[in-house]
Amino acid sequence: MNENIFTTVCPGCSIACGMYVREKDDGTFDIDWRKDAVVNAGKLCRFGVRLSANLMNATSKVDGNEVEFSDAVTAAGKAISDGATFVSVGNTTCAEHLALMKLAGSKGAVVNTGMGAFSSIPAECHPTMGVGIPFDAIESAKKIILFIDPYEQYPLLVRRILAAKKNGAAVTAVGWKAVSLADDNKTIDPANYESELALDSDSVIIAELNPSTDPERVMVLLNLAKASGAAIMFMKPFVNAVGCDLASKKTEQKSLDQIIAEINDGSIKTLVCLDSDLIEIMPDETAVREALGKLDNLIVITSRTSAITDVAKIVVATEPLYKKAGTIVNAEGRALHNSGEGTDGIDAIGTMLGQPVGMYDEVHAALLATLGIDAVDERVIPAYEKPDYAAMDANPTAEAVETALVYAGGPFLWNGMVDDNDFVEMNLDMVLANSLLKGIPAKITSDAGEAAVKFKVSDVAPGVVLSNVKLPMTTGMVTSVTVSR
Amino acid sequence: MEVGDCYIGWATDEDIRTRGASGGLVTAMLAAALEKGLVEAVVVLKKLGEFEAVPVVTSDPEEVKAAAGSMHSVPIVLSRYLDYGTKVALPAKPCDARSTIEQAKRGQVDIDTTYIVGLNCGGTMHPAVTRDMLDVMYKLDPADIEGEEIDKGKLIFETKDGKEHAIKIDELEEEGYGRRESCQYCDVNIPTMADIACGNWGVIGDLAGKGTFVEINTEKGIEILKNAIDAGAVEITPADDKGKAIRAKVDGAMMNVAAAANKKYLSPIEGSHLDYYMNALSDCINCGACKTVCPVCACGEGAKCTDFSSASDTYKMSLFHLVRFVHLMDSCIGCGQCTDVCPVDIPLTHIYQRFAVPMQEEFEYKPGMDMTTPPFFGVDLIEEGH
Repeated sequence: MNENIFTTVCPGCSIACGMYVREKDDGTFDIDWRKDAVVNAGKLCRFGVRLSANLMNATSKVDGNEVEFSDAVTAAGKAISDGATFVSVGNTTCAEHLALMKLAGSKGAVVNTGMGAFSSIPAECHPTMGVGIPFDAIESAKKIILFIDPYEQYPLLVRRILAAKKNGAAVTAVGWKAVSLADDNKTIDPANYESELALDSDSVIIAELNPSTDPERVMVLLNLAKASGAAIMFMKPFVNAVGCDLASKKTEQKSLDQIIAEINDGSIKTLVCLDSDLIEIMPDETAVREALGKLDNLIVITSRTSAITDVAKIVVATEPLYKKAGTIVNAEGRALHNSGEGTDGIDAIGTMLGQPVGMYDEVHAALLATLGIDAVDERVIPAYEKPDYAAMDANPTAEAVETALVYAGGPFLWNGMVDDNDFVEMNLDMVLANSLLKGIPAKITSDAGEAAVKFKVSDVAPGVVLSNVKLPMTTGMVTSVTVSR
Repeated sequence: MEVGDCYIGWATDEDIRTRGASGGLVTAMLAAALEKGLVEAVVVLKKLGEFEAVPVVTSDPEEVKAAAGSMHSVPIVLSRYLDYGTKVALPAKPCDARSTIEQAKRGQVDIDTTYIVGLNCGGTMHPAVTRDMLDVMYKLDPADIEGEEIDKGKLIFETKDGKEHAIKIDELEEEGYGRRESCQYCDVNIPTMADIACGNWGVIGDLAGKGTFVEINTEKGIEILKNAIDAGAVEITPADDKGKAIRAKVDGAMMNVAAAANKKYLSPIEGSHLDYYMNALSDCINCGACKTVCPVCACGEGAKCTDFSSASDTYKMSLFHLVRFVHLMDSCIGCGQCTDVCPVDIPLTHIYQRFAVPMQEEFEYKPGMDMTTPPFFGVDLIEEGH
């Protein structure tokens, strides 16, 4: 009667909360609280608490049939040809990402992290877009501007913001839904951010950068930070998005939308996804499924079962993240080391590359060099240079439509997991205007279809239907819809 | 050997005696229980760092021996790791022991196969607070710490250079450091509900620091101690009256300190009670961690608190918490686990205690103190004629 206990991080978002995973003899696992974790003092949000109920290990497959891991690796090695496109958004370790970069490089390609904004915004901005600020620094800010809903999207930031409030900070939220911890909830035209928010060098801006983020909005926020001297932090929905972006620096990136467009026009025939489920990540699930169906080869190297493993030609199933050897870099830029020693993913990629042994040591050394450190120490954030950048002309896409279904984001949505979040939120005016009744689902209709969904009355902006769960009638992060009973 | 006897004991193995607290008796007793087959498993804290340990259920005596030594900065309740039906032993602070008994009353733990080796406890500290405290109060780098102990009201850290650094706990707590809030007002320091209660209070003279004071509380307590003596792992000598008196005096002093903290932290709510609770719970993110980690909750997935609430509710105050406040009135032991894990820092233990303590006083029922008194919310099936 002995247990395997792993010191690891929650895979839910780029906060990368420390946790233990307690694995039993039958392969099932429970999570446990790691109170000495510097990032979160052992605290976890609902996603972390319920991880063992939601995470399913992957199974190796070729053409829909279960196969041995080695057979899947061999099949993938043969199928990955020159001209293949590679995606890794940051749901795995830096070591696996770097190994994939090496494989991609051997095929004359790069690994795309899916953050299209990086390609559209000048390179000198990338360090500021990539690595945020220490979470402790949020607590000492005098003014905090939230362009996120911390309760839904990044729950472990809530305690940091509350601590800042106790220290006297004023909190303003700019978003779709009123945030209860904010002193002020506002809707502001981006053109007026600077004048209405009155920030200074004691201020902190917290926003999100995800694959669907409009680069123009990122530019507006970067301009705001530059003009005011405020610190800015772009949270990311993927646990190691920052680490993967750091590893992929100086490479030309395609956005996920570009990749889907190139699959549709026939210029991408083989796609390799490393722990990156485009069906889950991209808002228009139907369009992504159609595009993936046009590929000659969809090769998925993954640690968990998800929507994309059902449609892939080849699935190379690796160990779950908590068992992997390797490092995660969180939103602060803090390097966090897994206690696991698993190298299935590295070995698989190494074998495809013709380097079946020794790959881990090589890529880990490359990571340390990238971070400028000799060893990973979770209590010391590596020093990152953030060069000055010039103000940019920015014209964000107008998001307002008469009635819009908006994805709120959050770990369950980005990981394609439904929990206690299968409802939409709208304000009382919308409920009354559409004669909705408690207990009867609301009918949400768009050009792409309709769905009947439970609803909750919340303090959301007029015309907004906010959802934390993927719905079939959506075509983007913001979809024009009608609501009826 | 009889129930009620008191001894001073120590490990015969020099290594365990050196590494374990107070002569290593508890470690030796737990390891011997495994080695001689008295139990199938032992729950221990596996040390990962000076302020970090993780509970493990092990059948390996060497893992038990490696866990020797006290860790005041690892505030974890071990009863959650017990499996029904397994013959198991656990080292138990009063909150570990009390929650084990509450779980046994609800059929989650088989008390007949569970050996509760009690440890005196003056309180534990959150590791994050300990690290801050070392920096701010002691001016020490947490990486330089090699050991800690509590002695005569002082918290003492030993650094790698062999020096000791002591500050009075009262002084630390005045500055917001030291023990967790729930430990400050906890008034159960000696685990009289455990099978055997062990600690360093009352160990005097030449044995001070080298032996453990042991009080036998049950037949199982006799069994586990005799097992260790028969295995040659432990030696004992009867405790004298002076030692017993000193132990009682320390306990009394700790209870007085707890009573003062109780007044400080659990003073009556000023103003509207509804506003107080609505404000306190306004940041709840519905994570369920407080329920998952609760060592007296026996409901599992199909619980009243979760059945009657949903994230889609529009209520201004969470029904999940309201149900739990009432449901835990007869079992909350104030262990502090819910506060520790709350991701938005709601002082949940404080709130649960506000509900539970008055009701427990009304019914003259202190949860987890013995197996004979059923929970006051429970139906007494025998009295009901079943």
